[in-house]
Amino acid sequence: MGFLLSQALTALASASSLFLVAAGLTVIFGVTRVVNFAHGSLTMLGAYVAWTILRHLPRDPASFCLGVLATTLALAALGALLEMTLLRRIYRAPELFQLLATFGVVLMVQDATLHIWGPDDLSLPRPPWMRGFVTLLDQRFPQYDLYLIAAGPVVLALLWLVLNRTRWGRLVRAATQDREMVACLGVDQRVLFTTVFALGSALAGLAGALALPDGSANLGIDLSVVTEAFVVVVIGGLGSVPGAYLASLLIAGLQAVGIVVLPKITLVLVFLVMAAVLTVRPNGLLGRPVAAAAVLGAQPPVRPSSPALRWVGVVLLLLFVLAPLVAPSWILAIGTEAAVAVLFAASLHFMMGPGGMPSFGHAAWFGIGAYAAALSATVLAAPMPLALLLAPVAAGVIAGAFGAVVVRLSGIYLAMLTLAFAQIVWAIAFQSVGLTGGDNGILGVWPPGWVASPARFYWLTLALCAGGTLLLRRVLYAPLGYAIRATRDAPARADAIGLPSNAIRVVAVTVSGAAAGLAGAIFTFAHGSAFPTYVSIPRSVDALLMVLLGGVGTMTGPIIGALAYTGLSDLLLRATELWRFVLGAAIVALVLLFPAGLAGAFAGRHGDA
Amino acid sequence: MLTVEGLNSHYGRAHILHGIGFTASAGSVLVLLGRNGAGKSTTLKSIIGLVRPSSGHIAFDGHEIARAEPHRIARLGLGYVPEERRIFTDLTVWENLEVGRQPPRPGLSPWTPERLYALFPNLGALRTRPGGRMSGGEQQMLTIARTLMGNPRMVLLDEPSEGLAPVIVEQIEAAILALKAEGVGIVLAEQNLHFARRVADTAVVIESGRAVWSGGMAKLQANPAVHARYLAV
Amino acid sequence: MPEPRLIVTGLRRAFGGQPAVSDVSFTLDQGEMLALIGPNGAGKSTTFNMVGGQLRPDAGQIRLDGRDITGLSPRRIAGLGVGRTFQITATFGSMTVRENVQMALLAARREFWRAWRPVRDQHAAEAAALLEAVGLLAQASRPAAILAYGDLKRLELAMALADKPRLLLMDEPTAGMAPAERVALMQLTRRLASGRRVAVLFTEHDMDVVFSTADRILVLNRGRLIASGTGPQIRANQQVREIYLGTGQTSGGH
Repeated sequence: MGFLLSQALTALASASSLFLVAAGLTVIFGVTRVVNFAHGSLTMLGAYVAWTILRHLPRDPASFCLGVLATTLALAALGALLEMTLLRRIYRAPELFQLLATFGVVLMVQDATLHIWGPDDLSLPRPPWMRGFVTLLDQRFPQYDLYLIAAGPVVLALLWLVLNRTRWGRLVRAATQDREMVACLGVDQRVLFTTVFALGSALAGLAGALALPDGSANLGIDLSVVTEAFVVVVIGGLGSVPGAYLASLLIAGLQAVGIVVLPKITLVLVFLVMAAVLTVRPNGLLGRPVAAAAVLGAQPPVRPSSPALRWVGVVLLLLFVLAPLVAPSWILAIGTEAAVAVLFAASLHFMMGPGGMPSFGHAAWFGIGAYAAALSATVLAAPMPLALLLAPVAAGVIAGAFGAVVVRLSGIYLAMLTLAFAQIVWAIAFQSVGLTGGDNGILGVWPPGWVASPARFYWLTLALCAGGTLLLRRVLYAPLGYAIRATRDAPARADAIGLPSNAIRVVAVTVSGAAAGLAGAIFTFAHGSAFPTYVSIPRSVDALLMVLLGGVGTMTGPIIGALAYTGLSDLLLRATELWRFVLGAAIVALVLLFPAGLAGAFAGRHGDA
Repeated sequence: MLTVEGLNSHYGRAHILHGIGFTASAGSVLVLLGRNGAGKSTTLKSIIGLVRPSSGHIAFDGHEIARAEPHRIARLGLGYVPEERRIFTDLTVWENLEVGRQPPRPGLSPWTPERLYALFPNLGALRTRPGGRMSGGEQQMLTIARTLMGNPRMVLLDEPSEGLAPVIVEQIEAAILALKAEGVGIVLAEQNLHFARRVADTAVVIESGRAVWSGGMAKLQANPAVHARYLAV
Repeated sequence: MPEPRLIVTGLRRAFGGQPAVSDVSFTLDQGEMLALIGPNGAGKSTTFNMVGGQLRPDAGQIRLDGRDITGLSPRRIAGLGVGRTFQITATFGSMTVRENVQMALLAARREFWRAWRPVRDQHAAEAAALLEAVGLLAQASRPAAILAYGDLKRLELAMALADKPRLLLMDEPTAGMAPAERVALMQLTRRLASGRRVAVLFTEHDMDVVFSTADRILVLNRGRLIASGTGPQIRANQQVREIYLGTGQTSGGH
């Protein structure tokens, strides 16, 4: 009994922490419609700033409160600065570009934090008052956690009062629905947005500071926190503060139960609950329908490629085929990477462009393919051809199951859910040490003798990747491809002419997942190993950048984008230690320069008006 | 009070308005007539700043407002009632009105929710109802009332009669005439000529983004050629 | 006299205990145009959505050519020959005008799972014939996204006819169009529908359109059918004038 109570209290405390982060994210989204990927980075900065401030203060409760307050204010100022310099310029950009730009900020903050505070985890020595315990039903319970438990409802109540009982709050709620109309009524949106962003950032900072005594300031906070916050916000309903609290309770409760019953499946359990909630309530527990905003902007009609372009393609392919006759093996290695990248990018484009379903976690399918191939080769001792067949099947089946749950959701929910799903796959790969070797990966997955030479493996890769990419293209020009675009362009019309929209979208996700899985499997054999990094967020972002670089509206875009990106990132990696900062800055610059998307920048070439 | 001169506007690459010009004054109703897609809504959106004109001048109450931001234009006393009504569906009727509140303007008796409930009795009975749970006609009254809370000297009304039952249209008509009597200027975009006839003093006919005819409403009625050519009723 | 195409009897539906439609019955013959009018919130959309399958009735029966379709899913109902157009135009913006119709034809023939042969030449002749019928053949190669509003409405009509429907449901088909285009669109609909023996049920606020194109008119108020008849009968009905038409001064003297 006492044990249960202590578990329940622990769950309540972590629910509060979750809520503080998620509340800021959801308030910011509500008004600005920006899903702020950098929200976790603000929480992380909150922890570091709090560490720096509290280290210089006396260790009594009053000073602690003062330090937390100072951290909160500092983050509010930082948030306001971020809004005024960056976000303000991207409100009109398509959702995916906003997400991408804020991911650029994540990368920059990561390198900056590493530079300022160093790589070590920083923790506070706990003062005596914090080490106190209360005894409840014979169980000792940390006193500090009781304060945390109270923090959640207190913040919830304060937010409710501010949003419902002040003019500022009414304006925020009105702007959440229609910011343009609010402006037409004489309200300066910029002040509203900056203050909202400052409030959200302050909440992130508060969360980071309050979590410090129980843990440490470390460089992993950003992504772990933001993934959890995405899950909470999606379950609660984008933009709903009470929803975020309910969802925090639900997730924290699940985690508490999971840890007791079956620690390994906690993450899967969380995802299943999220799937269940969204099946019943597609807009989350307390969310309202989010207007189907342009995830990518309007798309031009798709035309067959011109004869000239076809010739360029044939010549390029021929060059690739003949390369081993002259090129050294290190060039072949880059060629293999590039071929895999093309298939990976084309698979993402298939689902995101024609399908209109943005994926921020496409590495999930790549990684599932990689692990499926590696496990078939090692555990099942399957020959390589069988492994290369099993991998896309596994990735396709899992993608299809995932798709069946999420295809009814609107763009931004999809983007967040794909990201969360990829993080879960990553966590499973990382934690299931017995099966996947965890961080050490699965090693020794080499191709058999008949394709072991660099040239032969290169040719095999080229055949599979070029073949797969051309097959995807073929499908897009066939009735199925048109049907996929139809469900994207006008879902209601697609239903009315008798297209089973959901089934078509599930098929699109399945095909896309299978193709990405094949890319992952080839990648595994090329490197002889599978690691959790194959499923990491940066890999998903790689694919996104390739597709967006080449342009979403064309069928050739992903191919060009993948080739260009592979070359550029290779250069960048060699050139600088601060590659994360440079990459982040480059992403931000790209979005700022082409707020309508790169494809939009060149729309004139495809338009017919 | 409002002077529009040589207004040109684009949507993307499409050139929508070609040098529109007209003058609207306080205490009278000017109607922009024309077919769908003629450029009536774009004209109103360009005036309030939602569409940025590519060239031309718009003067309101002595201020140049072409290319100013919507909130600055609204604060000068120019109200805008959009065609889609754009009610804040999560907010109650009273809260919707409060969002529209701006400081009183010298020389005008300030609007309060109470005065507006008197003008639109339907709203008075619904003050705590969320905007999303109102009928189309009630929403139309609320969107007009919400704009009036800003104490505008002039109101731009985009197709207030569209999609409403004729009995509701008659109530909107009464409200427009009441505003005019208070000295508020009104610029109306309409396709419903029957409705325009009842409320407007002057008319500007717009066709393919150009002002092709303007003059008094009585003169328009007596000009069958304009009817046949541009309004086709 | 053939059996009516659509027979609706005793339709009822409530939302949260509030009746939205109570005991509505009517019939619709082949090739007939029937207008459904009434004040906002009278139950027009609810009635419409029950016939189309978007809503399940609490009671009552809907028969299409003698077959009971009450409570079937929208897709089943569409498959049985009920076409639909929307208040807000919805076409496939990333396709040309011709491809939009080809897509509708592919969908009607359940050929959308095919993943090999390019769409380009599939059902091209039939698509051309439909475009010809609505007068859009000259614009067949243009992207649908840049069509003028009235042309989009005609494209929607062509797409709705691709499945050879027995019944066409049109929800405020002329909303947002210029007055002249409105009557023209509905007269085109009338011509195509009577030639193909398609029954048309439509809702409409423009009384010029209703009185000039509908064979019969149904008037709903607070979920009940209060009148039905020809244009002159409805115009002369005192109750309809009071609750809907008003003095007629703002709606064209009807």
